[in-house]
Order: sequence, then C-alpha cells, then structure tokens
Amino acid sequence: MSKPGFYHAALLVAAIASTASCLVGFSTIGFGAAVVGESRKVEIPQNARSGLDALKAQYRRPVTIPFPRENPYTPEKAALGKKLYFDTRLSVTSAQSCASCHSPGFGWGDGLAVGVGHGMVNLGRHSPTIINAAWSAIFMWDGRLPTLEEQALGPIQSPGEMNMKLDQLMERLAAIPEYKPMFEAAFPGEGMKSKTLGQAIATYERTVVSERAPFDAWIEGDEKAISSEAKRGFEVFNGKAQCAACHEGWNFTNEGFQDIGLPSKDVGRGEFLPGVIKMQHAFKTPGLREITHRSPFMHDGSLATLEQVIDHYDHAGVDRPSRSDLMRPLELSAQEKADLVAFLKTLTSELGPTAVPVLPR
Amino acid sequence: MRTLALFTGVIMCGLSVGAYAATEVIHQRGRVFSSETLSVKKGSAVTFLNDDTVPHNIMSASKGNEFNLGSQTPGTSTDVTFKESGDVQVICAIHPRMKMMVKVTE
Ligand SMILES: [Cu+2]
Repeated sequence: MSKPGFYHAALLVAAIASTASCLVGFSTIGFGAAVVGESRKVEIPQNARSGLDALKAQYRRPVTIPFPRENPYTPEKAALGKKLYFDTRLSVTSAQSCASCHSPGFGWGDGLAVGVGHGMVNLGRHSPTIINAAWSAIFMWDGRLPTLEEQALGPIQSPGEMNMKLDQLMERLAAIPEYKPMFEAAFPGEGMKSKTLGQAIATYERTVVSERAPFDAWIEGDEKAISSEAKRGFEVFNGKAQCAACHEGWNFTNEGFQDIGLPSKDVGRGEFLPGVIKMQHAFKTPGLREITHRSPFMHDGSLATLEQVIDHYDHAGVDRPSRSDLMRPLELSAQEKADLVAFLKTLTSELGPTAVPVLPR
Repeated sequence: MRTLALFTGVIMCGLSVGAYAATEVIHQRGRVFSSETLSVKKGSAVTFLNDDTVPHNIMSASKGNEFNLGSQTPGTSTDVTFKESGDVQVICAIHPRMKMMVKVTE
C-alpha cells in the first residue's frame, strides 16, 4: 500500500474494467492485440524439502503496522478516526456507524450472514472484518476499491448502506463544534473535508490489528502453546489440503481472487473483469485471524461453522469453468478435518475489550 | 547463386533461432514477477513461465497489446508477441500484487 505503484495499479484496474469486455478468446485473435503462442510444458525443479522450521518462519508476525506515505500515522488522526468510526451521525438516519457492521464485538464484523443496510434491508454479501486491513492490497470482496481511504467513504455514500451524501455529511459534522478543532489538530491547514474524513477513518482502521494468538507463541518457539491436534492441522493446512496456496503468510491471505465453488449467482470480481473466466464468481481471499469470532463464514455468509467450511473445501463445491484449479476433492479423513479446525482455532487471540469513544456534541 | 541463396537462408534461419533463444523469460515463483519492467522490440516475444506452485492468470488490457493467458498451471510456459509499441501493463488477474510493465519499443 505504501508503494507508489499502487495508485497506478488502481487506475489500471479501472482501465481493465472498461476494456475487459473485448478480452474473450484473445488466444485466437491476432489483430489489435498481442499474439499468444502455444503453451509448452516445462519441468520445474522443486526446492529441496524445506522442513517445518522454514515453513514456520513464513508465519512470523510483522513488528510494525504499514502506513502509506500519502497518509502517515499520527495519534491525532487515529483518535479522530476512532470517533468518526463509532459515530452514527455518519449515516443519513443517524442510526448506523461503521461499527454497526464492523463491530469489535464480532471480530470487527457483524455476526450476520449478510450485512444490514439503510432501512434495515439485507445487503448481498457478508460484512467483512476490518482486522489487519493495514496489510491489504485491494479492498471489498470484489476488489473494486484500491485504497482504505476510498473504502472508508464507500459505505457512507452507498444508497443501500449509510446512504449519506458527502456534502451533506460535511455540513452535519461542521455543525458539531467539537469536531472542528479535532480535524485542525489532525490535518493542520486542511481541516474538515471528505478527503481528511476518509484519511482519519483509514488511519484508525489500520490500528485494528489481530492480537497475539496461541499460534504466534508456537511460531516463536513455545511448543506447549498449541495442541498436537493443532500442529497436525498446520501440516494438513500447508500440505494435503493446500489451504496455504491462498491463505498464506501471517495474516493468512495473499489477497487473491478465487471462485471456490459456492453455489451463488453473484459474479464478484467478474463484474470488473467480464472477459476473464477465472474471475467469474471470484471473491477476495479473506485472512483467518480471530476466525472464531467471525462466523458465519464465506462472502455470502452461507456456512455457519468452521466444520462446514472444511467440508465445503473437502468436496470442492460446484465444478464450473470459473472454479479455481486449486479446488478439487481433498478426501480428508475425519481426523484431518478435526485437526484443521483445531489449528484454525489457534489463530484467535484473547481479544481485549475496545473502549467506545465519547462522541463530540 | 542458388548456393548463395541457400546460404543466406541458413543465416536468416540461424539468426531467428538466435533471437528466439534470447527471448526474455518472466518467472512467477512466489507470486511475484521476476522483473518489474522489461524492454522489448516491437514484434518480439516475452515468455511467461509459471514456475510457481499455484496457477496464475497473466493478462493485459493495454490498448493494442491486449492478451489473456487464462489459468496457467504450474510448469507451463507461454510466449506473447507484442505488436504495438508503448507501455504494456501486465497483471495477474488472481493476485493483485503481481504487476509489471513491458516497454515495447520501435
Ligand atoms: Cu497470480
């Protein structure tokens, strides 16, 4: 996110979205496009088996939170952002805040299958957690927003969610006297505008990081921190079940878009890349930290328990052209499934309470 | 004369084989492209080699050089020949951190 190339990539995605409809069948088209040759099979030398220690080293927690150069951390910004995040006056009804759907009480989600928006109407997808958003490369289940700053303003304006026009919101906040000095302190010379509103909320969100879990203690050498079931589950996760092909690294995601064969009509990422077969029904791979607080699971909230999630991956879901090539029946034993669940539970910390801020009047 | 023509043909053929052997290869191991930028002459090919452990979907929507390799399984190599000069932004549709620029020169 701090890389300068990031915004460029965002523009590119927009460009792809507008031109992708002509992408179908490119391998056969010569005129006005690059020419794709025949594919060849190549022998890939595999690395010597790296062993458990090398594998564990890939899961070490980072020491610092990355903040983008365009919006560096300050305590004033984070404090203002926290008040805004919990302030229901950001919605047109003054009844919903960011925290309504991304609540610390439910692992920074809402505990529902799908979110509930303006007028108590159900939304189409599960409210994603904001935990570890600081490490995200792209936002929303379908990846339609490139930065957390833009993401923060998205649901506020969305007619189905908080339904609040930004001009109207800035007028409303300007009428709350205590906000003005807070904006001035956080953004000297810039003050209150929708840009700084988004920057403050994003800065606060980046401070929401999963806490140390038993898994982290094990990674750092405490053999007693997790059970032998969980340790076996870690090996299944990285081996036979291939979960780590997508849920990789300390935050358990590489942010990739995959169709995992859930029987839903929602095309997800495919809306923005209509000519790319593998993007149909594809959704962003979520991280797995604090997972036990985050049920129900999946982009549509269709699976209630971790056991059901493992069963879904075991039978590989709906076989269709868009389904990821990584999805195939796993033939896991009952023991392997139980071990996987035991392992996943070690990713949840003893999450401390979050103090709700006193809001400006 | 005929011998000369044949000889020339052999040389041409040899040159093109030489050019083929020198084709730039972009690796994808560890879900990163092996180069961030690459310059190639218009009409020459770049080889996209999936030497990673997972499938990738390499593509570009840059005007005049659009292509989409679809799901490229590990152990697969595909050549892409760029026909228009200019900057070609190459991405993996699956992995948003994978992006590179191919600069196609006249
Ligand atoms: Cu990829």
